[in-house]
Amino acid sequence: MIPSGFPRIKFGIYKNNEFREQLFPFDAIPRVIEQDQFRYLEKGLKQRVMALNLFIRDIYGDKKIIRDKVVPEEFIFASSGYLAQCEGVMPPKGIYAHIAGIDLVQGKDHQWYILEDNLRVPSGASYPMIARELCRRSSPLTFQQNHIEDNRNYAKLLRNTMDYVNTGGHTVILTPGRYNAAYFEHSYLAEKTGAHLVTGSELVVENDHLYFVDYSGKRERVGAVYRRISDEYLDPMTFNRESLIGIPHIYDIYRKGNVALLNAPGNGVADDKGIYYFVPKMIRYYLGEEPILKNAPTYLPFYKEDMAYVLENFDNLVLKDVAEAGGYGVVFGSRMTAQEKERFLTLLKAEPRRFIAQEVIDFLDIDIMDEGNMVPRKADLRAFVLMGEEPVVWKSGLTRFSRNPDSFIVNSSQGGGFKDTWVLSQ
Amino acid sequence: MKKLHFEYRMKLAFDHPVRQHRFTLRCVPISNERQQIHVFDTDVYPKEFLSADMDSFGNYCIYGYSEGQHDHFSVSVTGTAKTGLSSFETAPEDYQLGLFRYQTECTRPGPCIRTFHERFSFPDETESIDRAIAYMEALYREFQYVQGVTGISTTAEEALNLGKGVCQDYSHILLSLCRLDRIPCRYVVGMLLGEGLSHAWVEVCSNGRWIALDPTNNLIVDDRHIKISSGRDYKDCTINQGLFVGQTTQTQTIHVSVTESWEGENNYDKDCCGSRASR
Repeated sequence: MIPSGFPRIKFGIYKNNEFREQLFPFDAIPRVIEQDQFRYLEKGLKQRVMALNLFIRDIYGDKKIIRDKVVPEEFIFASSGYLAQCEGVMPPKGIYAHIAGIDLVQGKDHQWYILEDNLRVPSGASYPMIARELCRRSSPLTFQQNHIEDNRNYAKLLRNTMDYVNTGGHTVILTPGRYNAAYFEHSYLAEKTGAHLVTGSELVVENDHLYFVDYSGKRERVGAVYRRISDEYLDPMTFNRESLIGIPHIYDIYRKGNVALLNAPGNGVADDKGIYYFVPKMIRYYLGEEPILKNAPTYLPFYKEDMAYVLENFDNLVLKDVAEAGGYGVVFGSRMTAQEKERFLTLLKAEPRRFIAQEVIDFLDIDIMDEGNMVPRKADLRAFVLMGEEPVVWKSGLTRFSRNPDSFIVNSSQGGGFKDTWVLSQ
Repeated sequence: MKKLHFEYRMKLAFDHPVRQHRFTLRCVPISNERQQIHVFDTDVYPKEFLSADMDSFGNYCIYGYSEGQHDHFSVSVTGTAKTGLSSFETAPEDYQLGLFRYQTECTRPGPCIRTFHERFSFPDETESIDRAIAYMEALYREFQYVQGVTGISTTAEEALNLGKGVCQDYSHILLSLCRLDRIPCRYVVGMLLGEGLSHAWVEVCSNGRWIALDPTNNLIVDDRHIKISSGRDYKDCTINQGLFVGQTTQTQTIHVSVTESWEGENNYDKDCCGSRASR
């Protein structure tokens, strides 16, 4: 599958009903994170994911955080990520966010800031895995002479996470199919974890359990599904009725505790850009601790004081539409024409709940090779936190960079590239 | 209080046989504070595999699968209901009702509903139920009951714009109006005394109580209604949802019959005939 020597990593994009396959450029200069830096990140990430998990459990259960007015209810119930069908449903072992992809950036002050939490189906772990595999092959000595944490254990960590919640039976990775943007990753993770790679049509619910049906029609029980399809397509009987890639009635048996779904449906309520503002409050509320990692300074126009600040400092802020993802719906106040600004402000005043505003962080640039020259570019880091009995932070991560010198947007769907992330072991 | 006998029958006829049929049914009423249900018989055809559970809204769901070919699908439920045992159902704490306070795709207001809503002004201390009743009365006067002009996917805004529709439309419009005031309210599917189809109405939460309003008939629900299910809107309460393989035309027939039964215990409990008085 992977031609030796040169990494040709692809992903697909659907836009305007057109499918395009695009290369995800790899830059050979690794991003290096020192041991003590990473230890600090690790502590902060575990704390954050623990709190997010408790938040999701609370929202679909007791709702104490609403009762205690820490989070206003409109940020929950008017959010598209909230799924009423998840009310009162407890996933196996009470885990919702099994695989979390937390995006961070480092400022010029060397301070790390959380940019966004991804708790639905965060992708990207396969890219640093494969990059490392290729780099080790081309320069084994580098890895003997330097103290670099081996990141090839991701498959093992993922497998442990899946096994921990498995309710009995096989573990499968459910893909929408080869036209999906992350199909490469689905097949790669299946190969590395030893889980079966399946599509919805190979899984069937019978007698309140889930079965994998092989080519001969033989059925084998499935106890954990690492599903790489979004909530709304998971089960046409409960969510989007038009879905052809889902498994009818899988949600009913999940409710009964007869299969584990990774990640749990309904997690979108916690990774909404509007909810991001409240994560530090959640950490204090659920854990009684001060947040270790900082959010980028964020304002909610929903609050009058924040709206006033946003209007006054508009040109210094970046505005994000909470309903959008993948780098879409992000605008910089300073880059708008007078007309665009006027139009945007009208929208903002009409729907303040729809936007968040953030201070523009002056990213620490990192070097990339651009046609033989070393040039500085903006980059972020997606850290992966896996939740089993205890949260574990993978000692690596996906460093994405913007190839455009003027852009802050690193998303692969917008032409960004990636690097390997080396965490030093001493 | 009434003792009612009910029969719910639904048949889906296919002109060409279908197979691999999956279905979820929400057609079995359950007991609550207002009604005591005794189900005699639930019959589903075909039923190679059947199971049941409560959904997130507390509705009883039968779900199942039939692999083989069949040319029709049918379900019938018969039983008795003691109704009007209370004039309300107790609601959970206000902070747990958020999901019923916000609009859904079916109820999202547009200019028609907003204009309708703007005509009302209430003193601040007006109880939720009194606002809801005022909306219901105005809606009843101005909206026409006409079958066949709206469908299952018609939204509240579309229906009000049209000015006519059926119980589903009345209910969605009333929900939309109440939610503009952030009043928690839910859509109810059930059966009404008499012969006909299933019925829909609304429950409004006021002072910790779910009070049922039937906007199609402009009344506060007493003991002639048997509740089957409730949710945020029609979609949460779909009676029969299915998925099958086959190229076919399907014809659905529904027959609901609710009659007053046997012992004739018809002495009206005062608490039940007007929930305004009993609040």
